[in-house]
Order: sequence, then structure tokens, then C-alpha cells
Amino acid sequence: MSIIKMQRVAVIGLDTEKEKLMNQLMDFGAVELTDQSGKLSEEIWADNTSVDEDREKVSAIEAKLNRAEQSLEVIEKYGDIKHPLFKTRRSVKKSQMGRMLADENANEKNVDYILGLNEKIHSLNEKLNKLNQDAASLNPWVNYDPPLEITGTGTTALFTGVLPAGADTEGLSAHLEEEIGTVLFKVVGSDKDMFYTAVLTPEERQDDVLAELKQSGFSQVTFKGMTGTVSENLKRIEGEKDVLEKEIKETADEIAATAGMKNGIEEYSDILSIDLDKEKIRAKLLKTRKTFFIEGWVPERCIPEASAILDENGCYYTFRDPLDDEEVPVLMENTKMVVPFEAVTEMYSLPAYYGFDPTRIFALFYAVFFGMMLSDAGYGILMAVGCFVALKKFDLEGMTYKMVKMFFYCGISTTIWGALFGGWFGDIVPVFTRTFLGKEVAVSPLWFNPLDDPMKLLILSLALGVVHIFIGMGIKAYMQIKEGKWLDAICDEGFWYVTIIGLIAWLGGGTISDSLTTVGMYMSIIGGAGLLLTGGRHNKGFGKITGGLSNIYNITSYMSDILSYARLLALGLATGVIAQVVNTMGTLFGGGIGGLIALTIIFLFGHTLNLAINALGAFIHASRLQYVEFFGKFYEDGGEPFDPFRRKTKYIKLED
Amino acid sequence: MMSLIDGNTLALLGAAIAALAGIGSAMGVGIAGQAAAGVVAEDPKKFGKTIILQALPGTQGIYGLIIAFLIMVKIGLLGGNMVALTIPQGAYFLAAGLPIGLVGIWSGIAQGKAAAAALQLTAKRPDQMVKGIIYTAMVETYAIFALLVSVLIWLRIEI
Repeated sequence: MSIIKMQRVAVIGLDTEKEKLMNQLMDFGAVELTDQSGKLSEEIWADNTSVDEDREKVSAIEAKLNRAEQSLEVIEKYGDIKHPLFKTRRSVKKSQMGRMLADENANEKNVDYILGLNEKIHSLNEKLNKLNQDAASLNPWVNYDPPLEITGTGTTALFTGVLPAGADTEGLSAHLEEEIGTVLFKVVGSDKDMFYTAVLTPEERQDDVLAELKQSGFSQVTFKGMTGTVSENLKRIEGEKDVLEKEIKETADEIAATAGMKNGIEEYSDILSIDLDKEKIRAKLLKTRKTFFIEGWVPERCIPEASAILDENGCYYTFRDPLDDEEVPVLMENTKMVVPFEAVTEMYSLPAYYGFDPTRIFALFYAVFFGMMLSDAGYGILMAVGCFVALKKFDLEGMTYKMVKMFFYCGISTTIWGALFGGWFGDIVPVFTRTFLGKEVAVSPLWFNPLDDPMKLLILSLALGVVHIFIGMGIKAYMQIKEGKWLDAICDEGFWYVTIIGLIAWLGGGTISDSLTTVGMYMSIIGGAGLLLTGGRHNKGFGKITGGLSNIYNITSYMSDILSYARLLALGLATGVIAQVVNTMGTLFGGGIGGLIALTIIFLFGHTLNLAINALGAFIHASRLQYVEFFGKFYEDGGEPFDPFRRKTKYIKLED
Repeated sequence: MMSLIDGNTLALLGAAIAALAGIGSAMGVGIAGQAAAGVVAEDPKKFGKTIILQALPGTQGIYGLIIAFLIMVKIGLLGGNMVALTIPQGAYFLAAGLPIGLVGIWSGIAQGKAAAAALQLTAKRPDQMVKGIIYTAMVETYAIFALLVSVLIWLRIEI
């Protein structure tokens, strides 16, 4: 029911009609075209047809699209653009398409302009880096004051160089004087790695001096192309840096000023991606000289419209049911209330085409479980109102829409459970009235307080679990009966129903009536015997016995599945107790104005934290109960999502 | 020496042991945080996603806090007038603190490791993050059960 039936369509048409047909199919948006290149391994297809694709055109459009996207990133980076909480697509009337197409040249120019500015910033930044490096290498020489272009006089040589930090410069200086005579060796700077030194020698002894110095690890440093003193050079660099930085700032401002082009470029980018999809889809066509061939999937109910489009374009076509070994794309259909919960199914994995979409069955359980685990009316109202506002304010789509809507329902459920259990931001009402008004106003739960009677809630949790699991088994049995395997349905699910109900009556029925215990005992014995005898029915020989025994042993997995629902109680208590901790901490400062301020701050901070952590926990564990305990009983996953040929746009939503 | 150990000492020991669950959470959140930092180094946009996974092993510490708080409330420590407990009564409180204290330590660490692996998953396939969260939450089940046992014991103590 809730997985939509698909039909396989095969179409042959004339090449002259191809473009119009593809445009119409894209507008229609309900036909998934499948790749046909596999057919070319068959001789008859290979001899007569080829894949219809134009790689050059595809890469040309791709290049344009990339540039447009890049320019959008640049605007994003330098522009002062506010981001709303949710990213949504703008609605654009289809009648605007003409205008958008006409703007292509202008947009292309804008993209060029923005990318040009980006390029400019890049090269300016590179220059700035270069200057910074120069400055860093000159800085240690700041005390060296001769102009850098001077390397000696007529009879002397002047050169500079570095020595490793460990060198004994004084000893070296003395040694040089001893060996060479008139040498001026001076340390002009030092840091943790190096000594920066300058040497003045008679010109004819330069090589000897260098040879001596090199033994101590000296390496010469030259300042090629620089004139003037070091400090002059540093000053020049500073000046150039200021100019560059100003220029960079100006260019960034220029880019920021292009923010107005953003919408146009976004539309342009979307038009390009529509064009790209149109070109790319051609790779899924086979063509002869004058005709083309396509195959794909169409939802059964869309066949009349699809036929009309195909007729209009003079195509020859056939529809047929999917074959057993074909992978059919999956499209789920649910009522409006249930659609948001498809998010949970999609996160797991879509059901197989011949499987079962359980969304409408677990939706109610999901909301109930979530509500029990968060179980605070204050938090529930906050969640429901927050999601409601988000839904009204933003035009949400897809997964985001489903999640927000789902949390809206979960918020309502949380409010109901919170009221039943008497949790309103924990116990803030009695705590507040007791501390500040001197008279305690109690808020009594509509049903009962779980802290007063946890056993009651534990039993309720486990009972819900049993119902949930039984429904899962019921779906499995339903699917088996549909396939004609009614014996499997009785042996696998029927006996388990009898056994589990029997065990519950046997162990727990005594509180209601003694005869229930007896009935329960016989039921569990009959069920157990059935399981023991039929568990090995698919095995041979000895396996018939071990199969039955291992089947009985499965009772442990049913037990652990059911006990797993105890988390409904535990997480529900956790929310309530943490809320109480927060409220108690808030009142530690006593009454009066100071106490009120302290309580307000602690209240806001503590409850925000508690809501965040426990809403996350409730979401995760409500999902887990579906995935592990419920889906585990019957779910067949692995469906590929139905992905029809349609307009896939990122920024705009075309409307008629 | 023996006079040091009365019912109230035992009850406070119970509260202290329950709070030890924070060890597990601290280590778990730390392990997950290291992995999260690695993921964000590659892609700073993933901060929002990673913070959720990093927070998951933090719950054990909260559960420990809950039990410690419940014990302190019941013996009147917060109100300032501690009830005089008998030694068996004190021992009951000690018993109530043990499950969440011990299970919290090891499940927090284990959950931290699972969260770190889920973060790797998120780095490579961001669309699959929820599955990583579910894997991580599987570990949490046992901390929840320990919390449940602690709460049930605490509820049944008569003073």
C-alpha cells in the first residue's frame, strides 16, 4: 500500500522530437530514466545503436557551473551575508524563466568580475606574504648600519653571514686577529638559532678569512638587489605592506559590494544545473541515426499523463510490470500526518520494493515513546511552539521539513505525557511558590508521579514494548501469509505469540486471578512445545532437534527486546530528576531579589541544557526502539530511492 | 575508628560512588573530543555535527549526578538536617550508588570509543551520521539499565 507500484516504460521516438520530449519529461518530473549502456554488450544493440552523449557540451556547462558556484563562495566569504536558521529555496514564478535566461550574459559578466576580484586578492596576498618573508629575514640585521649595496672599498671587503648559535664568537674574533691580523669581526644580532655577523677584511685576505670562518660553521648571507640600510629597507617594506593591505581591504569591500549580484548568480547557477542535467541524461539514451530509445520507471498512477506526453511527441512505447529480478526504485506514500515520520525510515534505509513500509504503523509509537522519555510539559510546549514557528516562518522542504514537523508532533506528545506525570519544568511551580511566596502551590499530575510509583510506569513501558514487538511480528506474519507461507507464519510468529502471552499470564496473572496463572502455564507449555517441534523444520536429520532447541533459546532475545523498553521509564525519570536538581540549585540562594535573579539565571541555563540533552536522548532512543526492537522483527531494507528526471535546483523553486 | 562508620557515612559513600560515573563520562567525552577535533580540522563546517556525537558519552556523569542527588535529598543533606541512619539503611544507599557508579565508568569509556568511530564515519559520510549516533547510543543502554536499578533500589529504601 504505502510503497508506490511502478511500471517499466520503454520508448522509441524520432530524434527530431527528442529535445521537446525531454523538456516535457523534466517538467513532468515523474519518470526515472535508467542507464541503457548495459544493452550495448548485446550484439544486436551494439551493431545498431550507440550511447547518445556529448561529453564536450557536458564539460563546458560543468565548467560554467563551477565558476558560478565559485563566485558564490567568494561572495559568501567576503560579503556580509546573514544566514537564516534554515536554508530554504526561493519561490520563483515560471513566467520569470524568460527573464532569467535573458540575464545570462550579465550574470556571466558578474561571475567574471567577482572571480577577477578574487584572483586579485589572491595575488595581493601572495605579494604581502613575500614582503612579510623579506621583513622577517631582514629583522635580525637591524643593527647592521652600512648600506647594503656596499661590499667593500677599493682595498677592503665587507661581507655578512650567520653562525650557529653555539659558536664561540669571542674566541673566533681573537683567533682571526691572531691569524690574519687586521680583521673586523662583529656580531650585529643574535636569536636562539643564529649569530648574525659582519666582517671587514683587507681585500686580498678575504678568501683566507672565509676559510677560517667556515670551519666554525659560517655561511655567507647576501642582500641581492637591495640598496640603503637595513632599517631603510624595513621602512620601505612597511610602507609597501600598508599600501598592499589597503588595496586588499578595498578589493574585499568591492567583493562585498557585489552581494547584490548573489540572487542573479544563484538563479543562473540553477539554470546551468538544469541544463547540465538535460545534457547528462542523454548518456542514458541509445540512438540510431534518426531515432532514440529510452527505458525507465513510472509510478503506475502517472501512466495516463506519461502516455499523453509520449503520444504528443509521436513516440512508440510500452508499459509492463517489473520483473522479479529487477531492482525497482522505491517511493513511499503516506498520509499527511505520517509523512514526517518517513524521516526515521529514511535514516535507517528505505524498504525493499517488495517489502513493507512500516512508517504509518510506528509513527504513533515514535511520538509516544519520545513523549514518555522527555515527559515534561514545559519542554514539550517549548518544542512544539518552536517547531510550529519554524514551520510557519520558513518554507521548509524535504528532510528538514519532515524532521521539524516530526519534532512538532513529538513536542505535543511530550506535553501530554508531562501533564499526565505532573512535570512542568520539573517542580518549578511548587519550588517557586514555596521560596518566594511562602505558600506552596502543588501541581498535581493528571495521572500519577513516576517517582511515587515507578513500578506502574515500568509495567506500562514493558507493556507498550510487548505491543510494539507483537505488531512487528504481526507484519512479518502478514508478509509471510501474503507470500503463501502460512505454515511459517504459524510456526515462527503464532507459537511465539502463544508462548509470550502465556508466560506473561503465568508469571504476572496471579495478581488478577489464579486461573489466569494456570491458563498461562498451559499456553506457554503448548507454545514452547510448538517452537521445539517446528524450529528445525527446514533442517535435515540431527538439525531438526538442534533447530528446535535453538528456537526455544530465542526466548532470551525476546526477553531482552521487551526489557529494552525499560528505558522509557529510566529516561523519563532522568529528565524529571535533572529538572528538579536545577530547580533545587536555583533556590539555594534563598528568597528575595538576589535569590530571584539567581533562580532565573540557573533556571534558564539549567533547563536549556536539560532540554537539549534529553531531547537528543529521546530522539536517539525512540529511533533505536524502532530500528532494533521493531524493524528487527520484519523489516526488509535496501530499496533505492525513486529519483525521477526533474528540475534539481539548489536556490530557487520554480512555480507555475 | 569504628565510630566513623555509621549509617550516614555509608549513605554518603553511596552518593560519592554514584558520582564516580563522571570518570567514565570525562574519559568518553575526552576520547570523542580528540576524534572530533581531527574531523573539524579537515572541515570546520562539521562542528555542529561533531558536538552532538561528543556529547553522547556525557550522559553517564549526569546519571551519576541524579543518583547522588536523590540520595542526598532522601537523607536530608541538602536541607541541612541529616537524618540519623542505621547501618543497614546506610548500606542500602551504598548499594543504590554502586550500579550507576561502576557501570557509568566503563560504559562511558566504551561509549567514547564508539563515538570516536562514529565521528570517523561522519567525516567520510556526513549523511550517515545518524547511524553513527545509533551505534553510540547502543552502549548507553547499559548505563540506562544501571540507572534504573539504582533508582529502584533508592525508591524502596525506608527511612
